[in-house]
Amino acid sequence: MSEFVNRVDAQRAILAAVNGRPWREELLGLSSEAIRRWTEVNGIDTTSDINKLLRALSERLAFLANKSQEHLSDEYLRGSADVLQMTEALRASLDSVASR
Amino acid sequence: MHIYAFGSVCRGEIDHSSDVDLLAVVATADGRFDPLKFSVYSYERIRVLWREGNPFAWHLFREARLLYADDGRDFLRFSEPGAYTNALGDCVKFRQIFVGAADALRNGSASPVFELATAFLAIRNVAICFSLGCSSEAVFARDAALMIGEHSLVVEPSRYAILSAARVLSTRGTGRCPTPNEIESLVVRFDHILSWMDDLISVARGQNERVCKPG
Repeated sequence: MSEFVNRVDAQRAILAAVNGRPWREELLGLSSEAIRRWTEVNGIDTTSDINKLLRALSERLAFLANKSQEHLSDEYLRGSADVLQMTEALRASLDSVASR
Repeated sequence: MHIYAFGSVCRGEIDHSSDVDLLAVVATADGRFDPLKFSVYSYERIRVLWREGNPFAWHLFREARLLYADDGRDFLRFSEPGAYTNALGDCVKFRQIFVGAADALRNGSASPVFELATAFLAIRNVAICFSLGCSSEAVFARDAALMIGEHSLVVEPSRYAILSAARVLSTRGTGRCPTPNEIESLVVRFDHILSWMDDLISVARGQNERVCKPG
């Protein structure tokens, strides 16, 4: 259960990093479909670092927890560290775009 | 390797937002399964969930449908999961998740749809855990909160629809985003939803105390 809470917090942090900036429409979630919608609505380049990082985060979070169920494995801690690193990389990418 | 369908399609809950939840049970890590399409669990993990009487184990046991088995057997029916005894603890924790989403919305979150979707998930899971642990009939449906008899959440359908739609927006990326007014009209009802959760938690606590009482 604590892993479930952690994943909600991780998603909240990722979405806050993205949605803290002015877009035509907020990023609604971290499912591949929600990312695709956000990319299309906001005219984001599908080959951009932001897009790639969001998709990588989506996949990593899906690995950590499919369909809201706890999914524990030996890889859990490594996967959680990956999410933190990728979230930082996403923030840097967003900063980079904003400063152009 | 065993592959199952589970979730809404197995309950006949079909609409335009429906997907097909797929579960793969494997012996070792198997890169053929896309984690965005499959929930991938090891046999050992499934056995642990079964021993724990985890709600997901009960969900699968009751509803999953076998699609493929390399040994021809229905692995998930090897035995009934253990008794589910943590309804109180799980309801309390999902209540905390709901409070987190409610606080975020009240504080002007920049991700209101995600927060509404999280609130919906918490509401649904409180109802599922309560029904599994404290009532005679377990309900795993998407709208479980509306389907647990006298303990059902009573809320205006238009407001509940905003929550439900947010979950679809967040997971399927389809639908219309709620307006600020719609969100506000829902947020003012969150105390009512919290009271509903507290009532269920009170029932669960009462059942726990009766079970634990000597004699």
